[in-house]
Order: sequence, then C-alpha cells, then structure tokens
Amino acid sequence: MKPEDFSSYWLQLEQELIRVEPAPECTEIPLRSTPEGKVFGLLLTSLGGYRIFAYYCVPHGKGPFPVIYRLPNYGSVVHIPPFEERCNHISIALCHRGQRLSDEPFAASYPGLLTQGIESPQTYIYREIASDCLRVMDFLLTREEVDHRRISLVGGDLAFWTAAMRPQALTLFYTPSMFYKSLQKASTSSHYPLEEFNDYFRAFPKSRKQVETTLEYFEPMNFAPWVSISTMMMEESEGDGDDLAAAFGREIDRCTTYHSSFRDGVRQAQWIADKLKTGEPLLPEHWS
Amino acid sequence: MTQRDPSKYGTQVIKPDDFDIFWGELLERSDKIPLNASLTLDSMRSTEQVEVFEVHYDSLNSLRVFGWYCLPRLRPRPLPARVFYPGYISEPTLPKAHAEQGYATFGAAPRGKLRSNRQFNPGYPGLLTHNLVDRQSYAYQGFYLDAIRVIDFLTEQPEVDSERIGIQGSSQGGALTLVAAALRPQVKAASVGAPYLTGVVDAIDLTRTYPYEEINDYLRLHPQNRDAMVKTWNYYDCINFADRIQCPIIVYIGLQDDVCPPETAYPLMDKIQSPEKKLYAYDGHGHDANHHVHDQVVDTFFDNQLKT
Repeated sequence: MKPEDFSSYWLQLEQELIRVEPAPECTEIPLRSTPEGKVFGLLLTSLGGYRIFAYYCVPHGKGPFPVIYRLPNYGSVVHIPPFEERCNHISIALCHRGQRLSDEPFAASYPGLLTQGIESPQTYIYREIASDCLRVMDFLLTREEVDHRRISLVGGDLAFWTAAMRPQALTLFYTPSMFYKSLQKASTSSHYPLEEFNDYFRAFPKSRKQVETTLEYFEPMNFAPWVSISTMMMEESEGDGDDLAAAFGREIDRCTTYHSSFRDGVRQAQWIADKLKTGEPLLPEHWS
Repeated sequence: MTQRDPSKYGTQVIKPDDFDIFWGELLERSDKIPLNASLTLDSMRSTEQVEVFEVHYDSLNSLRVFGWYCLPRLRPRPLPARVFYPGYISEPTLPKAHAEQGYATFGAAPRGKLRSNRQFNPGYPGLLTHNLVDRQSYAYQGFYLDAIRVIDFLTEQPEVDSERIGIQGSSQGGALTLVAAALRPQVKAASVGAPYLTGVVDAIDLTRTYPYEEINDYLRLHPQNRDAMVKTWNYYDCINFADRIQCPIIVYIGLQDDVCPPETAYPLMDKIQSPEKKLYAYDGHGHDANHHVHDQVVDTFFDNQLKT
C-alpha cells in the first residue's frame, strides 16, 4: 500500500540533495578512449557528501548528442558502456555508492546491500542510492554537449525511480528487478538477491512489518503514476507486469523477455533508436 | 538465424613447448602450501535445510581466499559436491538452492573478487590486463590456482565423497571449470557455459565487447606489447588446457555471443580429450547461452554423473 507520506518522503530527499554542491570532476581515461570517442571518469558529490563515480563517454564530432544513461544492476561491478553505443551517443554508466569505483568509504556487501538499513525508510541504503541516480541525471542537464531533449534511461528499478523523478528524460527502457512485489516474490524463491529478504526475516523475525513499510517507498507501482515519459517495460513472463502496467494509469509499451541477451539486446537498441530518432542502431557484429 | 559458420574459424592459439613444465612447476609450488582452511558458520544465511559456511583458505603468494560452502543439514552419507565458479563481473554464487538438492556446494571467489580482495584488487576492468606481459606474474596465475584449490578443499572434507565432485560455471566460470578439470583429475564431471579465456587472441579480433575489449584498450595504448601479450596468453588459454580434460563434460554456447565469440568454442571442443563430451550450440542466443532452458540440462547431467 502506498504510504501517505510517499510524496513528502521523496520531496525531502530532493530538498536535501539540492543543498549538496555536485562539484563535478571529469578526467579522461586515455586507456579507455578510442578513435571514436573519449571516455571520462566522472566524480560527483551526492547525498551525505558521498563522492560517486560514473563512466562518461562522449563521441568525437559536433554535438549535442543523444544520451543513453545506464543505471546499474545489483552487483559490485559496472561495465564501461558498450563500444557500439559510444560511437554515436553520449553514454554514461553510474557506479552507485558501495559499488566498485564508488566504494570509498562504503563498500557494499553482496549479499547484504539489499537489506542494509532496511529497518526504516530513513536509514535504508537505497534512499541514498536513489539520490546517486538523480545526481547523474542532473549533471547531464547541465552539459552543453548533451541533447537535453533526447536522454534515454536504461535499467531496472533504479532507472524507474529516476524516470519518475526526472521527467526531463525522453524515454525509459525498463526491466523490473528487485523492488517490484519484492516480498511476494521472495516468499517463493531461495535465490539471491531476493533470498536476502528471507535471510533477514529469519535473523530478525519481528521486523517484517517494518521491512514491508520501508519497501513501500521503493515499490515501482507507487512510482508509476509519476512516470510520464515514453516507457517500454520488458517483463520476465507474460502478465508478470500486469499490476505495474495498470498502476501507470495510461498505456505503455510492453514486451516479454526472450531470455536471450542477443534478441533482447537487439530489441532494446532498436526501440531506443526509434525513440531517440538516431536511425539504425550500431550493433555488435555477432548480432548482425 | 546465424549466417556465419563459427566452426570453420580456427584459432591462432599456439601451445608453448614448455606449457606442461610451466604449469607443473606452478602446481608443485601451490601444492606445497597448506590450505589452512577455516570454516565459520554464517547463521544469517543458513536455513532449516542448509548450513552456510564462510570458508577461507591459503593460496599462492600468501593470499587468503574466500568461498561459500553450503551443506544440507541432513547428510547420512558422504555427499556428492558441486563447485560454482564465478563470471568475470558477477559476485561469487551462494549456492544454497543446490545444497537443498542433496549436494555439498561451493561458491568460489578467487583473488580480486569481493571478500578475496583485501590483498589483491586490480579491479574490473583491470584484472584481465594486470601484468599482462609477464606470464610469471600475470593476474590469472594466482586466480587459476585459487580456483583449483577449491577441489583440494573439498577432498579434505569428511562429509564430501571425493569421488563425486562436479564443477561448473559460465563465461569466466566456464574458463575456471576447464582449467580445474584439466589440472585436477579428481573432478568427476564438468559443465561449461559460454567459455571465456578461450581463444583469447582470436576473440580480441572478433569482438569489441568487454571484458575482452580491455585487451584491445591496452594494445591501443601499448601496441609494442602485442607479442608479449600473445606469448603470455598462450600459457593461460583454455584451449591449451583442453587436452588434459578426461572427465565427462558438456559445453553450451550462444551462436550470437558478442562477449565470448562462439568461434572460440570449436577449437576448444576439438582439443578436449574426454570420450564423453558434448557441445550444445544455441542459435538465437548471445552470452546467455540459453541458460534459462539449459540449466535443467546441467542439473540432469550432474544428477546422472554424481548421484548414481
């Protein structure tokens, strides 16, 4: 159930974040730059004065360029954006606090991150992680080389929250991840990362109500009415996202995963290219 | 769907004359190091069905290496075991679900992985090119040995039937599986998905996708080091370990894999000596190698090899 103070909870985060000077620092990483474009290491200050890292890749040539902003998955490592994407987009990949390259002073545990501070919405680590995601979006909107009207978000729930709170993006390619019906799904799974919730309940059996309350602030269904941008939702199985789709209160694009990184990757690239109006996407040779 | 024939590509990998001597000396050094394994029960991750232990053991160059060890609480007889080796960027597996099925399971975390990175942490990207031009100190030397010492750990455990150890992994986990199967004949069966670190000198010409792109990045900056890189890799390439693999083995690949190009799997299969080897090549799949469906094939394979 959506908390009554859902909006004020996130508004408070925005108010805290706006008071933090982002202090961007962009340094080229010559080892990763190519004849097609430069790769920079970007540092920004996020909530709590935490310094976060992102790969910021800018193609050679005359901008402004369309942008693909990749939000991270669950795990310690974030890849440099794909070469093919970097050739004709600004491509940016965030390492949120706790992930490698953003792991000082806080290095996340896997498993462990998913329940860190979960006893309260104010202490839950994903509140600060959400601020990291927003911080990068705000950085993009300050840049002259960025085409502010053509920014595409790609990822799981972190991308979804960002789309909800940053309608300046044009599109969202979204794959529901851990926060959509999280406890319901955990109850029928023993696989990580959802198993982290089950581990937590075994260790702290009286905490269930608190955890349920915290997770409501991060449940994508509660964000859906705020997502106004063009959205493609790729679901695990047909009908899996019905409740979430209904929560939008409008039509969105939907598809079901092929369980093929090749076929899903081609579909994602083509959908984004269509929305950003960048023509046929450049794809890895093995996908052609 | 695919129009290329990856089986015809071939390979530029050459096996050095002293390959066996190189690895023989390393194994001798490694085997002299006592494991000094410690097991600590992780009560938070344990369940009514499965005990979860945090394991630490010693490895080459005095590194302490971590792993997850899971045991079904009900174990009237010595158990078959399954080892799960991690991918390049993935976290070590905590294989509770398979322990529920009656296996002792081990999720390996070779040096540089989380919980094994206090003394050695080249990062990601970084691992693949760390000391790339020197086979004596190349990052994967210790990494490979950490992986095979998991087999040594399991054979020391009284609850494990050391005649029934199976190993598996996909991508880098597939590479570690190949190396461990080659260097530890105690391994009874192996499953390899989308093998990485196989035909490396071919792969860097075939793809621009990370992690292999790390080597292309390196060679752009240090083109003069290409020969040294190739020379190092000939000592580490899984194709050159393959002729030592005698156990039953299954390999599965995606024919549209842009991460570990399918072309590199065919020379590997040619070299594997096991009389029981099978390649599953899935058209329409990339680096996932159709694991969504194939996982069941893997489970059945191990049940047949280890439980009967």
